Order: sequence, then structure tokens, then C-alpha cells
Amino acid sequence: MGLGMLASRVIRPTASKLSRSSSLHFIRPIVSTPETSSAQSQPQPDPTPDPPPPSPRPPVAGARVHFPKPEDAIEVFVDGYSVKVPKGMTVLQACEIAGVDIPRFCYHSRLSIAGNCRMCLVEVEKTPKPVASCAMPALPGMKIKTDTPLAKKAREGVMEFLLMNHPLDCPICDQGGECDLQDQSMAFGSDRGRFTEVKRAVVDKNLGPLVKTVMTRCIQCTRCVRFATEVAGVQDLGMLGRGSGEEIGTYVEKLMTSELSGNVIDICPVGALTSKPFAFKARNWELKGTESIDVTDAVGSNIRIDSRGPEVLRILPRLNEDINEEWISDKTRFCYDGLKRQRLNDPMIRGADGRFKTVSWRDALAVVAEVALQVKPEEIVGIAGQLSDAESMMALKDFLNRMGSNNVWCEGNGPNPDADLRSGYIMNSGIAGLEKADVFLLVGTQPRVEAAMVNARIRKTVRANQAKVGYIGPATDLNYDHQHLGTGPKTLIELAEGRHPFCSALANAKNPAIIVGAGLFEREDKDAIFSVVETIAKNAKVVRPDWNGFNVLLLKAAQAAALDLGLVPESANSIESAKFVYLMGADDVNMEKVPSDAFVVYQGHHGDQSVYRANIILPAAAFSEKEGIYENTEGCSQQTLPAVPTVGDARDDWKIIRALSEVAGVSLPYDSLGAIRARIRTVAPNLLNMDERELATFSASLKPDCSHKMSLTDFRPAIDNFYMTDSITRASKIMAQCSATLLKK
Amino acid sequence: MLGRFAAAKRVLEIRELLTRRHTSSPLRSFSTALNYHLDSPDNNPDLPWEFTSTNKHKVKEILSHYPSNYKQSAVIPLLDLAQQQHGGWLPVSAMNAVAKVIEVAPIRVYEVATFYSMFNRTKVGKYHLLVCGTTPCMIRGSREIEDALLKHLGVKRNEVTKDGLFSVGEMECMGCCVNAPMITVADYSNGSEGYTYNYYEDVTPKRVVEIVELLRRGEKLPPGTQNPKRTKCGPEGGNTTLLSDPKPPPCRDLDAC
Amino acid sequence: MASTVAKYVLQSIKEKGLRGFYRELKDEGFLKCLSDGNLLQTKIHNLKGNLVGIDKFGNKYYENRNLQSGRHRWVEYAEKGRYNASQVPAEWHGWLHVITDRTGDELLMLKPKRYGLEHKENFSGEGEELIYHSKGHALNKGQRDWTRYQPWEPTKP
Repeated sequence: MGLGMLASRVIRPTASKLSRSSSLHFIRPIVSTPETSSAQSQPQPDPTPDPPPPSPRPPVAGARVHFPKPEDAIEVFVDGYSVKVPKGMTVLQACEIAGVDIPRFCYHSRLSIAGNCRMCLVEVEKTPKPVASCAMPALPGMKIKTDTPLAKKAREGVMEFLLMNHPLDCPICDQGGECDLQDQSMAFGSDRGRFTEVKRAVVDKNLGPLVKTVMTRCIQCTRCVRFATEVAGVQDLGMLGRGSGEEIGTYVEKLMTSELSGNVIDICPVGALTSKPFAFKARNWELKGTESIDVTDAVGSNIRIDSRGPEVLRILPRLNEDINEEWISDKTRFCYDGLKRQRLNDPMIRGADGRFKTVSWRDALAVVAEVALQVKPEEIVGIAGQLSDAESMMALKDFLNRMGSNNVWCEGNGPNPDADLRSGYIMNSGIAGLEKADVFLLVGTQPRVEAAMVNARIRKTVRANQAKVGYIGPATDLNYDHQHLGTGPKTLIELAEGRHPFCSALANAKNPAIIVGAGLFEREDKDAIFSVVETIAKNAKVVRPDWNGFNVLLLKAAQAAALDLGLVPESANSIESAKFVYLMGADDVNMEKVPSDAFVVYQGHHGDQSVYRANIILPAAAFSEKEGIYENTEGCSQQTLPAVPTVGDARDDWKIIRALSEVAGVSLPYDSLGAIRARIRTVAPNLLNMDERELATFSASLKPDCSHKMSLTDFRPAIDNFYMTDSITRASKIMAQCSATLLKK
Repeated sequence: MLGRFAAAKRVLEIRELLTRRHTSSPLRSFSTALNYHLDSPDNNPDLPWEFTSTNKHKVKEILSHYPSNYKQSAVIPLLDLAQQQHGGWLPVSAMNAVAKVIEVAPIRVYEVATFYSMFNRTKVGKYHLLVCGTTPCMIRGSREIEDALLKHLGVKRNEVTKDGLFSVGEMECMGCCVNAPMITVADYSNGSEGYTYNYYEDVTPKRVVEIVELLRRGEKLPPGTQNPKRTKCGPEGGNTTLLSDPKPPPCRDLDAC
Repeated sequence: MASTVAKYVLQSIKEKGLRGFYRELKDEGFLKCLSDGNLLQTKIHNLKGNLVGIDKFGNKYYENRNLQSGRHRWVEYAEKGRYNASQVPAEWHGWLHVITDRTGDELLMLKPKRYGLEHKENFSGEGEELIYHSKGHALNKGQRDWTRYQPWEPTKP
């Protein structure tokens, strides 16, 4: 963080001098002798002074200026340098664009402005008092001074007040090392205080199994209150009392039952709200950060995996404006302890007595190859699990094809997935694009449990634009205003025929968005439902050249890539006649359907549900241990990076299949990740455009008409338990605690 | 050496200050309760609570003062009404009822109720006696008045007498400094219809005990100054200055305006 | 001095017989004195010293205040053959090195009951199996499990 560097620079004045003399001003030392004010005090010899130079510093944290209307740009002067900002920006934002990092506690760019910490005081010419820059709109020609003695003294005074009641327990505080208060008191604070009275103490609150509270440390910035109210949509937290007795709390005993509650840990500038599972586990400077991707849902939130040695210690969000902004769901953040439990670490074979015996890789692969070569090709079935990366799915499909079978699919995509039209299974408007919509129609999807980050976007849109939301599905608690239109296909037909009152809302909408849940993939009448939804889309002009609001919200991380790679089974019921079943981490397969004489190979990283039916177990790497491409629900491919080593004897998924193909005598022609990606390029080149969203070229209207009959059974919730959806989260103790305490009705 | 001695002396002073504060007088607290709620038989969210039918009309009247999309502006008058109806204090269920009326999350109402010290969140007596504790009254002896009240009633501050009739609290300046010291009697004995909130000014430790006894007998007592020699806030024994009408301002001709 | 020694020897022979006397000579290390000058010196010192205490290993602690300061406290190790300074337990160390005047028996009361470990002498050079290794030492396998994950146990058939 910039402020941390700033602090270290203050401590080492020689370093700051060095960098100041060099041309690389990437951060501007605020605590320094004000050069600009002395420059201004010099008499100007020129009667017509030149216009002030533009700010020589790049914006803080690469902030971009976006001018919605060019005529609304106004010019302000920050420390004598001119900077152009759009109208309506605050003084703080203008300073950021000018490259001046203003210290702040309560201000957060994604929350409403409170202006109660007073740390961001700056001096503005012709104002009698220092101005709280976060709450002051920038006005044309405003002359802002950020490093005058007045501003510095004001900050020092504010810091003294903040530290008055703040306990000096940094050595036992989990925030130590990444604490805004620590950093800023180093940079802007005084080295002594004048407070000799007794410090305040506040009773700790119980916010559930995820967030630990030490309320005595709270500095009342109200970021958590605003986050809970505005982003998470649970109005539980509030500011209680007044004066020195003021405290954050819920008043009545209440847990924070939000799927985004973990984010208050990140936004808390001090150690008042910290992570309960991470408490006293490590210091942040001991951790190695690996920038990776979340796989617990189909959103593909950008995360940073913090690890120490062989264990993952925590997961933090990474900024990605298009996908998860800077939030992540609790499942993403706290599933990491599942990576340490129930791991498969050795190849195992089920002996004649029904017990598993540890064997070597050579023996295990030999047995699998022998059985695979004995059965008929059409009796071979391969199922990719919901956490599979694109490389391993490619390898699995290639291997099975070379064995003569084409019965390979990804779980969650249903018995007869349609991979022909990409627009039929991705989120065409994009997650960030949902913010442009003004009417939403949710069909059989409960985004709050299926994709919490998408739900946060919808909520943001509903709050910002008063967008209307219609919902078809079982009654649920979405945390924004919505109309519950119905529970099943009947309502859908009414909407398609224009008999439903919500039709007028759809028809009058500028940018209507329809979101169909991937839970419907499992239904037999999936094609019929989709054609009815397309009729609705056509009537409401959802798909236009300038706006494509037809969206499918996928459930699993592997689904989109699997369909892109064409993992579609040849026949829907192949599993019932299978003799050789290759499960690549597939745990949600109904194992009752597998014939009892079938040979089941389970390749995966957790001893979850399918392992108990397996004849042979091949241990594989989890998402934190491998490099793999995942495509999220909006069609954006991203890759995970290994943060920790694999456990025991486990190997990467694609390597296992490559080795197996060699033993089976049908060697796959790739030996490295680069080679397998070259193979993917021939099938689905979009998967290799990392971090870029590949739009679907053809719209769903090209689809042939479907003749299936639609059944009128109601939609069922796709996910029963938000906290436990895959093998990692099912192994996690924290997730078990969450589902025990937070889902209690 | 001298500095160290001074510092040690200062520490001793602080310690003495702290211990004295704890032993002799209760900690200065502005409101009647903690900032968080603890369930008790007479105060928990499961208890039903509703405005009475007459008060429902008042609620409608109060809400009509505000635009329909800013119903939450009515939170303070509604909490006040609920407090009058419920005998001077606000249980959680009453706050929940107010939240329902103005259509906000309950926590937004709790925030307001905990902020203002005149909303009592624990039980008070039918007559809630509030002693002004701000500087002018304190100089004129409000501490003695409070001590006399507490001693006479045999309670601590913010505690209710056994018969449920009286409780004593402290209030900040109520604007009667000219007749300091003063106490306020909030009379919740007759519900929100007969609710009165009367100032008794120029009180003495003897006089407050008499006031308490009068209230206990249910007698009416004219509010205002308790000094018989004064009328309202005029000086004792009549005016001595400003006896004639004030002269008009000399520099401006007001008629010409 | 020689006469006291002779008197003591004769008295012992009278009490225990020649055989018993020989055993005592051997057990008390007098025979070792013939080859070990340090031990002989200690034995000679002991004649004038006061026995202050015996620790639980059998080391005897003597004091003679008339001697030069710094040489007025000494120990006769229980082990006569391979003795070394690490055989003095922690509680006697302070007394012996004139850090404190409290004897080891008194200081034993300060030893923490819950986590105070038994004194162990330094076995360096005495063979690999006797050497102390810290918990994480590579030669100390099995003391601490560095596995950071819990493997799946195939319990159910």
C-alpha cells in the first residue's frame, strides 16, 4: 500500500531524499518541506504567468479519469499543479488524480461518504478552516493544498484524537502490519499524545463464526455499517450511543447472516473486525501472495492466496472491476481450510476385501489401463468435475476419444447439454454489464446463493438505478426489492404470451436483462424452457445489436470451459451401461446409476462423495496447487497459479491422464502445459485470451425450434446450502460451522 | 528529579480521582441503559407491542407532516409517542413497531433511540425526575438536590423506587439557567393523553422532597419557580432596572422604512 | 595430614574389613585418584571442606570459607570416571559459581512443577543416540509432524 511505503520513507529520510532527486516520482511524499508553497511565495516577475503545469505525478493506484461529458470537466489546482476532473468529484478524488494520496479512514470509494473520521483534512485557499476533502465537492478553480503546515497539523491533531481511545495492542492484533491506523500514524501522527485519562473499553460483539470483533479497537469510521447496508444488504449493523460511548453494534443479539460478511474484515481500517479462522495464525509479512482465481462458483472472483510454506492461510480478494470489484463471497474467502482436510495423497486400489490399499503410481496406472483396454469403447464414460480446469478436461476428452469413446461431459451441464451456440450458455451482457440493465428477470435462479458476486451487482444496480427485478422460482430471500412472479414454467408461459403484468415492465425497459439459472440444465424439458425464454427475450427486445441481455448464470467453475471444449456426451444415458467410469473430480454424479459391475476410477483431490464407489483412486492437485485455465460464467478465461505444493504423491490432473494414455498405448501428443494449450487453441482459442471476455458471436435465435413438451413442475433451488457446494467446501470445517449457525432458520 | 516527583504526584492525583469517583458517586451516565440490549422478561423482541387505537390516529397525523417517501423522518416523534404510551420507556418491541411504521430496518431506529438520552431504554418510574446537571445549575447546587432526592427515595440514579412511582435521572441544560437549580418531572402516570413534562425551578433540597411528597399524594402543583418572591424569571422582589420602556434605536428612522 | 589419612584408613579397615575397605576405595574413587590428579586434589580438599549438600545425582558440594575466594566452593562428581561440568544441575549451578548463596536444595523449590524438565547432562561426543536434538531437527524424526494436511482415511469399505 502506498501509505505503508510512505511511512517507511518518513522513517528513512535519506531514502526519501534520494527518490525525490531522481525523476521517478511514483509516490509523492506528503510529509516533506512544502516546495510548492515556497514557490508561490516568490514574487512572480512575469505579469502574465504561464498556466500552471499539469501534475507531474501519475494518479494514485492508477486511478482513471472518465469524463461522461467532456464539457463537465473542471480544473482544480492541487499543490499548484493543474488537474482536470469531472464535475461532481470530491476534493479527495481530485487529489488522487493529481497523484496525491490523502490519508483517510472512513472514506471508501465504493461506499457512501460519511465524513466522520476527519483524517482527510486539506487546506483550500480562501476557506477559514481545513476542509474534509472526502465530503467536499471539487469546485472550478479550487486551490487545494495538501502539504501546508495547517493541513499537517490538522492531520496530526485528528490522529491524536483517534489514538486517544485506541488500545496499544498492536503486538497482539491481527491487523498489525496491514493496519491503516498503524501506517498513517507513522506517516502523519505525532510521536506523543497528551491524553492521560482512562481509555474507553467496549464490549465485543458476536457476529458469527467468520468475523472476530475487538470493539475496543474501533475508531467509528462506520465503513462496516455502510458496507452492510449498501453492498451486503443486511441492515443489522448500526452506530449506537453517542459521544465517547458510541459503538458499532447490532443492539439486539444478531449474527451477520450475509454471504458477503467477510468483506468487512478487509474494509475495517483497524483491527476491530478481523478474520476469526485466521486469528493468531500468521503475520501478514510472513505470507506469500499468489494471484489466482476462485473456483467455488462460476463467477471466477479474482483472489490472492496467502500461503506460508505448504499451507494456505487465507484468501483475499483482488481488484477486478469487471468481475468481483473488490469483494468476494464468504465461501471463496473461508473455504481454504477445506484444502487441508480429507486430502487424497496416494494412489489407492480397492482390494478384493473391499478395502483400499496404497499402491505406487506405476501399479495404479497399469491397472487402470488394463481395465480400460478390456471394455468395449462405447462402455467407457468420462465425467469432469465442477472444479476441473480446461487443460485437464481437454486431456480427458482427447484420451477418451483415442480410446474410442465420446461419452465425456462435465457435471452440472445436464444430460443433454447444448454446446453449439456459445450465447446459449454464457452471460452475454457480462457481470459488469448488468449495471446498465434496468429490468431484470430471474428465471429459476437464486443469484444470492448461486453467485453472490453477481447478486451484489444486481443489488448495486437496483440501488443505483431503481431497476426492477422479477423472479421466477421457489420463494427465496434476495436482499433487494423484487417481485416474486411465480414458481415455475406456468408463469414463464404467461410471460411469453404477454398475459403477465410484468410484461409491460419488460417491454418498457431500455435494457432488459434475463438471467436463466444453470440449475435448469438438469431438467428434462430444458430445451423447451429455453425456447420459451427466447420468446420472452424476443418480445422484450432483449437481444439487440447494442445490448444483449440474455444471460445464463452458470453454477460451477468448469461448466463454461467444458462446453467451449465440447464436452458433450454422445448419448444421454451412457452412464447406465458403462463398464469403465472415469471420474475426474466429479462428486455430484448420481452413483446409483452406475452399474454395480462397472470399474470406477476416481481422480481428484478430496475424499468426498464419489470416492466411496471408486475402485481406484488417483490423487490430483487442487486449484491452489496447479496452473489451470478456468472460464467464468461471462466467458472470461482466467488462470489459477500454484500457491502451495501438491500434497503427498498427488499430481496435476492433465499429467495423470497423459501418463495413463502412455500406459494404455494411446499416447497424447503433449508433454507440457504449453503444448496442451496449443491443443486447446485448435478447439477453443478464446480460452487462451487470458482475462479477456470473449463475446458470443451468434445469438441464440439461430437455434432450431424445439419440439419438446414442457412439464409444469416448479423450479427447484439449484443449491441447497450456500456454504457447501463442492468437495473443498464440503471438507471445510469453517463452512460446516457457517451452515450450522448462519443457515439456521 | 523534581519532574519525576511532580509526575508521581500527578499519578497519585489521578488514582485518587478514579477511586473517589467509583466509591462516592455513580459514574456519569447520560442515558438509562447500555448501548446494547439484553433480553429480560419485560423487554424482549418477542413481546407484542402496538400503538393504541387513539395513538394510531396520532401516528397518522405525525406521518402526514412528512413527505411519503421520507417516512423515516418521523422516527423521533413516533419514538416519543411510543415512550409516552409505554410508561416512559421504550422496550425493543416498541422500537420494532416504530420501525415497521416508518418502514426502515429496526437498527436505524435503535441508532436514534440510543443516541438521544431522553429516550429511556430501561424502566423508569411513573414520575421521572430529571435533575439538571449543567454548569449554572451545578454552581447553584444541583448536586445537593440530586443527593437529597436520592436519599429521600432510597434509590440510586436511574433506579426505580420499589412502588414504581419515582426514578431520578440527570439531564443536560434545559434552558432554565436563570432560575437555577431546576428539576423536570416527566409524568407518565396517565399515558400519552395526560402526559406532562413540567419544570420546577429555584428548588432547594428541602423543596424537592416536598415536591416528591406532593406528587406521591397525587396533588397538582403549579410548575415554574418555587421561590414565592419571584414571578417567572424576574428578579426577586420586582424589577430594579429597566423600569421604563426601552428607547428606540437612535441611528435609524424606523418609520421611514 | 598424612597422619589423619593413615588414622582414617586404619579405622575403616577395622570397621569394614579389608575387603570392605577396598570396595569403599573403589566406589569413592580413591583408586581413580592414582591416575587422575584432579580427583586426588578434590579428595584432599574435601578433608578440610564442609559438605553443603548432595544433589539427586549424588554430586557432593563442598565449601571452605578459609580458602581463597573463587576457590572456596567445589563439587565432587558422583561419576568418577567421565565427569564434566554439565553434570551439575541448574539448581546447584548458582551456588557453585557463587551467583547466589542459596544452596541447590533451597533453589529446587523454585523449579516449575508443570513444565520444569529433568536435568540432563551434555552427551556431546558420547554417541548419536544420546545427543539432544531440538524438535524440528532432521535427526529427530517422529517428534513433530510437519504434515500440514489431513489425508483422507479409507475407513468405510
